[in-house]
Amino acid sequence: MENFGNLMDGFGIVFSFYHFGLMAAGVLLGILVGVLPGLGAPNGVSLLIPLTFTMDPISAIILLTSMYWGALFGGSTTSILFNIPGEPSSVATTFDGYPMAQQGKATQALTLAFMSAGIGALVGVTVITVLSGWVTQFALKFSSPEYFAVYLLTFCSFIGMGSSSPFKSVVSMMLGFAFAAVGMDGMAGNMRLTFGITELIKGISFLVAVIGLFGLGELLQTMEEGLRFDGIHARIKIRDVWEAILSLPKHWMTLLRSALVGCWMGITPGGPTAASFMSYGLAKRFARKKDGFGKGEPAGVVAPETADHSAGTCAILPMLALGVPGSATAAVMMGGLMIWGLTPGPMLFIERPDFVWSTIASMYMGNVMAVILVLTTVPMFAAILRIPFSIIGPMIVVVCFIGAYQISGARLDLWLALVFGIAGYLLKKLDYPIAPMVLAMVLGDKTEDAFRQSMIFSKGSLGIFWTNSTLVATIMTLAMLLLFWPLIGRLVGRLRQQRTPN
Amino acid sequence: MQNPSGILMTRLTMEIAVALAAAIAGAIVCYGSLEIGTGWGDAGPQSGYFPFYIGLFIVIASCGVLVESVIEQRRYKQIFLTREQGYRILTFFLPMLGFVAVSMVLGLYVGLGLYLFGVMTIQGGYRIGKALAVCACTIVLFYFVFEKWFQVPLLKGPIEALLKIY
Repeated sequence: MENFGNLMDGFGIVFSFYHFGLMAAGVLLGILVGVLPGLGAPNGVSLLIPLTFTMDPISAIILLTSMYWGALFGGSTTSILFNIPGEPSSVATTFDGYPMAQQGKATQALTLAFMSAGIGALVGVTVITVLSGWVTQFALKFSSPEYFAVYLLTFCSFIGMGSSSPFKSVVSMMLGFAFAAVGMDGMAGNMRLTFGITELIKGISFLVAVIGLFGLGELLQTMEEGLRFDGIHARIKIRDVWEAILSLPKHWMTLLRSALVGCWMGITPGGPTAASFMSYGLAKRFARKKDGFGKGEPAGVVAPETADHSAGTCAILPMLALGVPGSATAAVMMGGLMIWGLTPGPMLFIERPDFVWSTIASMYMGNVMAVILVLTTVPMFAAILRIPFSIIGPMIVVVCFIGAYQISGARLDLWLALVFGIAGYLLKKLDYPIAPMVLAMVLGDKTEDAFRQSMIFSKGSLGIFWTNSTLVATIMTLAMLLLFWPLIGRLVGRLRQQRTPN
Repeated sequence: MQNPSGILMTRLTMEIAVALAAAIAGAIVCYGSLEIGTGWGDAGPQSGYFPFYIGLFIVIASCGVLVESVIEQRRYKQIFLTREQGYRILTFFLPMLGFVAVSMVLGLYVGLGLYLFGVMTIQGGYRIGKALAVCACTIVLFYFVFEKWFQVPLLKGPIEALLKIY
């Protein structure tokens, strides 16, 4: 029950007009970013980080997390009204959300999406509240080899569990590590990989990479597909809202299942996108009448939305407790934490309990506020998408570049953002996963430090990762299993095939 | 645009090109690490120790991608880019490139104005007067949001210096 008391303290800190104002501002900006094509949650959070440099960390994290919730909601709005997923994680919402809107049930679809998203998020925060004390105690036993093992596990799970080619995951991830290595070497103090370019001494900021990869890259992709907004006019009718809310209990099984899928995928680095697809698939498989799916089945909106948001919220837990973010947006936020001078990880719970618990408390309030705000402002945001693209497009581009410039006021960052934009477009089109690259850029230095310190302990023997403790051996074995999972899976499949002809 | 669905590039070509580019990047990382020492120094591993293996992994994995795409050629016979798509990309990308280049010399505000004006009149088909008005409003809005409200100075050029705006 210690967690509960801490949570109450957190509520006490968050409960102020200033913080509520930040929450509302964050949610509204988030919805805006989620609705606009090309700007997503990771990118939006990157754009905001430079503005939080002068804030205190609690206010800053409230602003950033609220923006994240807002962006998730905004993404669902465009999925339903325009059949354009504002976020990769809301692709699955378009399957049934847009057909529902076409049938004149836009209000119901939106309400169902927002309410189930809200429920998913609250389940996620509750899981965080319950688990965080336990995770911290577990993590306190960690020293450098254990940390390296956890980082390795995170990266290996991208390789083993990702849907793209394992080679491509490795390339993307290792490029991220290489970008992180550019600049000053934190341990020895000399310059690395700058090739005589003075502007590279400060390193390549992961924020520039995110703005390029996610923002500009996604815009290029949207442009290539040809942008068409065949929007459905949404007028929120109060009666329909109530009707939809009253129909929610019917979907309790879907809600519960999707929330669990989401929590699991959020804590392990599967991420919200994988969670929403998986939960949509499960809902379809377990449904009594399957043919409704894809033609406007309410459960097809409830399932991905719940999973998307519970995964989004749960991704914050490993970020705070272990320093291992569970999604690209969480990775960006963690980078922010480090910029504000906080070290994510178990020590954060001991040194800054006020920060941790007000973050968690603000997640409860932020999500409730997001549901209310999004329901009341949907028509306004839908109207933004009716501004011609020849006006809104250049503005989005300029905001992206301004965001890149703001980080450190370097001209080179503008070119870097452009290069990352081209790279992001190409990589995404060829099914290279982008999230591992961002994660590697954020975790690169910490991973390297953990590795080098372990090497110093063991005088250069890799054996330390198996002999230091049973904990590290278990994590390493798990990591290796995940790393070679694509191979193991193929082998098992072949063995089975050989057996069947007999 | 005689052949709007004409193929500009196949997926296989692009797979190979990107894999080769990644391999070259990996090789550069290895070379850079070798310059600063990849061995064992007085205080443990030297600075180049970790990045060297990172570079090596990039080279190996991109060779893996290369082999994979050649073996599974049939799967990659798809179209990467049609002419029409290529055209759409260029009409979006070139103005963006122009914006960055102009901003480098004249600052972000002038860049923004020219960029928005160009896209609105040439691609959007707006009249010059209307486009000018929208550009002016946007520049003023951006100025107040960033310089006054958030207090983050943006890149400025000689024109701002002439007008004594800092």
